[in-house]
Amino acid sequence: MRDTKSLLLLLVSLLLVLVSFVLIWTWGYNFYAKNENLKASTSIVRIDSAAIAANVRDSLQKLYTATLHDLDIQLDSTLTHSDSLKNELDVKLAAFYRLRTEIVSILKNRNNNNNNFAIAKQKINELQGKADDLKDKNQVVDNENKKLSEVLNQISKSEKASDNNNRPVNTVKNGNTERATPIYSLFTASDLRLSAVTDTDEKETETNVAEKTDKFNGSFTVVNFNSQLINAEMMVVVLKPDGRVLKSSGWDSGTFNTVEGKKIYSYKFSFAYNRGEAKRLLFSLKGNSLSRGNYTMEVYQNGQLIGRMVKILS
Amino acid sequence: MFINHKKHFLLTAALGLFFSFSLLAQNSVIKPFLNSNMYAGIEVGSKGVKMSFVELDKKASEDAEFKIIKDTSINTDFISFTTATYQATLAALNNLYQIAVKQNRIPASNIFTAISSGVNIQAEKEDKKNWIDQLVNAFKTNNNEPDRKVAIIDVKEEARLSHLGIVPEARRYNTFLIDIGSGNTKGGYFPYDNTKDFKLFQLTWGTKSAANAAEKKLGTGNSIDNFNSQLSRVLAGAEENEIVYAVNASGAFPKSDNIAFSGGIAWAVANLVLPELNDNAVVPISYEEVLQFSEKLSKNPGLYSDYYILKTLPENTPDLDKIGKDIRQVNKVFDQRSLLSGTGLLLKIMRQFDGVVERKKFYLVKNGAVGWISAYVNQNSVK
Repeated sequence: MRDTKSLLLLLVSLLLVLVSFVLIWTWGYNFYAKNENLKASTSIVRIDSAAIAANVRDSLQKLYTATLHDLDIQLDSTLTHSDSLKNELDVKLAAFYRLRTEIVSILKNRNNNNNNFAIAKQKINELQGKADDLKDKNQVVDNENKKLSEVLNQISKSEKASDNNNRPVNTVKNGNTERATPIYSLFTASDLRLSAVTDTDEKETETNVAEKTDKFNGSFTVVNFNSQLINAEMMVVVLKPDGRVLKSSGWDSGTFNTVEGKKIYSYKFSFAYNRGEAKRLLFSLKGNSLSRGNYTMEVYQNGQLIGRMVKILS
Repeated sequence: MFINHKKHFLLTAALGLFFSFSLLAQNSVIKPFLNSNMYAGIEVGSKGVKMSFVELDKKASEDAEFKIIKDTSINTDFISFTTATYQATLAALNNLYQIAVKQNRIPASNIFTAISSGVNIQAEKEDKKNWIDQLVNAFKTNNNEPDRKVAIIDVKEEARLSHLGIVPEARRYNTFLIDIGSGNTKGGYFPYDNTKDFKLFQLTWGTKSAANAAEKKLGTGNSIDNFNSQLSRVLAGAEENEIVYAVNASGAFPKSDNIAFSGGIAWAVANLVLPELNDNAVVPISYEEVLQFSEKLSKNPGLYSDYYILKTLPENTPDLDKIGKDIRQVNKVFDQRSLLSGTGLLLKIMRQFDGVVERKKFYLVKNGAVGWISAYVNQNSVK
């Protein structure tokens, strides 16, 4: 009897332990499941914001593409229209010339009877009509050209705007990485040298004394990586201490235009140039009775100052 | 012939006295040239007598460098061949010679005298060669120099000497020099890298002859527009019949990089178009600049008055007074029509060298008048 009670108690205890385990497991599972749901819900929110951003960008892209496509269609249609107009013009011109040739041949033929002259008169009228027609067509072509240029301007504007919008931040910060292309690209001048020289017994010796200077020898290097120029011109201006331009000979000096107005050059270089080539240019200027002071050498290209240096003679 | 006549003698004496005073006044600032390399050249030209003082390089040779120190001239119009102009020419010749000898102390052996080709050609045309002989003899007698050589220069030699006198040695063999005179145009170049062989270039048109031809066609309409139309016709004819042929025949195009123009019109255009380069004896110029000048001059000659040019120059431009003086001088010598005809002729010649593929460099020479006599002095001082 006592054994039966103990066994019952043991069973109840075991049952309680089991129930406790089940409860703990359930609570633990619920806790785990809740955490997972929380994680999942957080990640979903993140995915949604990215998607929205992507959608917004896509819509802008789509809008931009659509606009471009629209403009392309407009351009194509204008070009096609222009081509068709050209073809039409060609046909009309051919008819015009054919008529003119016919009239000339009729008029040249001296054996013509009145009937032929009547035909000629009729053809002349026809020719006049065609000429008027061509005049009208010309007007239409002009208008189409205007439209075409407007469309092209619109496209170039929208492309510029899109370039500005799409430009990476670091490019904006660093101007050197993406510099706007100038209307004409200038050379850069470097290693400017101006030496005063004494010319004795056909030997040249450098000096810094004004009284001993017979001439100036100057040189500089120019380079241009952008230019497609084949021929280039450089003007050298050497200013004396009194502000006047040092001129060796009238054959070498002349005038050129700058943004500040007309200037006189001491020497002019005209040379053939290959893109990227470092070209060393040398010149010599005779200088009689030079005074002491600062001699300024300036190098100009396309009317813009690209190099400057000062030589002092004592 | 003339000297025996009392009236003419008195006239010569009076003119001589007048020129003595005037030249003394002009040259009062000239110091004596004590340098033994100093020479003087006196030339009797069509319009007057010119004298140049030339300093030669120490290394005497035909190619030696020389510097024109000073030049002066007296207008006498010898080729009119009247008694008055003869007397004026003789008086000017005597006085310039005396100035060189007495005031500037240049030895007689360093003074060279010559008669220009223009005088000789005109004298031959009018059968007045004896006037030249008489002038030379009178000059020798007056200065007690019976053995003095007074050379009469022919047209080719004068053009050759002009080239030697004007164009620097560095550009000697690639420069075509063209002197546009009032009645004709002459010039040439050295084709074979030596100064003996000279290719002569000549045109029968000059600034004045082109203007005269246009004036003759004016009829009753004396407007500047009508003058321009007639001038265009005259110059178109000159281009078609003579200029194109003469330039082609000269063979100068492939051999010349530089085309230099001298003569009165070159001096005038240089002063009016490029006043900033007033102190340059030679100025570079383009076909477009001359064309623009011609068009502006035709529409509004006031743009080339000394007042307007000086007004348009920057205030800090050096030598504004000298620029103004030179522009006034140009406008005194050339009127609008002479300028237009000279410029028109200049453009017609320039166009022959202004190719699409190859464009020559153009220059206007301002001191062309003293070119040949300076070279003559240089050449003869070596002998």
